[in-house]
Amino acid sequence: MELINPTNTELYKLAIHDAPYVIAAYAVLWVALVGYVTLILRRMLKIEKEIDVLEDAVKK
Amino acid sequence: MKKELKWAIVLAVIGGLLTTVAFVMAFTTAGVRTFGFVDTPGAVDTVYPLAPPDSQPTDGTLRYQRPWFSQKIFYFHVPLAEASLLVFTLAAVFAVLFLIKRKKSYDTRSYVGMETTLVFSVGTMITGVLWTIPSWLSDWTQIVPVMMAEPRLVTYLFMLLLVVAYFVLRNSIDDEERRAVYSSVFAIVAWLSAPITFFITRINPNGQHPVVFQSGMDPSNLIPFILGQLGMLALGFAIYSLRIAEESSREALAVIKDSFEG
Repeated sequence: MELINPTNTELYKLAIHDAPYVIAAYAVLWVALVGYVTLILRRMLKIEKEIDVLEDAVKK
Repeated sequence: MKKELKWAIVLAVIGGLLTTVAFVMAFTTAGVRTFGFVDTPGAVDTVYPLAPPDSQPTDGTLRYQRPWFSQKIFYFHVPLAEASLLVFTLAAVFAVLFLIKRKKSYDTRSYVGMETTLVFSVGTMITGVLWTIPSWLSDWTQIVPVMMAEPRLVTYLFMLLLVVAYFVLRNSIDDEERRAVYSSVFAIVAWLSAPITFFITRINPNGQHPVVFQSGMDPSNLIPFILGQLGMLALGFAIYSLRIAEESSREALAVIKDSFEG
């Protein structure tokens, strides 16, 4: 398989009109997924911190 | 770090890598289809043929067959939709298990599945609209009538509204047991819309929406498509697992708080 399919090179010359939609679709997808995963991880870290504090308090 | 959290992160990394490879291939090695026409001021050195003479404009511009750039959205729009349907199925399975065994963890798994379905369904709708505008419309204001005339889009929108309704129902019930039972029943009924939206383009092939594989696929398109599917499924399961890990941490915190206060 060729590294770059020649039809793609031609496509970039002729179909630039569609580019904003394709870029927007990628951007929306990645921002949504990365944002959601970051949100979950931040919430988890907060909960784990709370658990640590309470566990220490119970031990004392 | 919990074992399930580690697995979720590993899956997220694998999913991220696979989808990235698929996306790069979509713009490099994947072949390009044509769809409609494009006008240029003069001749262009291109592999795409000119439009038939009877459809050439008379103002001196040249009309070529149009390379379908927005088709590149296909490599992540379809995997997103598939992941949404599979996670929805997982949520319905756990809803059934909850109704049979009445274990709280099954309700939690069903709820988390519905939440993941919502994220993936919204992503599918947005990327679908961004595909529809340049591919099917000459003017974005036609979007509503075109969408309403397309069976796949109508049934998928209906499915998305049912998923949203699940959360409205869930948040409107205070009693924990009743909330879990009603939500599970609703999740199962709502899930019935998933096979309908999946098979609608096969039952009614008259719409504009492409039917994957039936519409034909060049081998250079197939590899990034499969990688995109595997990657998006890994990402879907990673997000689902992350949320399960979060919910179990939340439950552990509640237990510690109870014992601390008691």
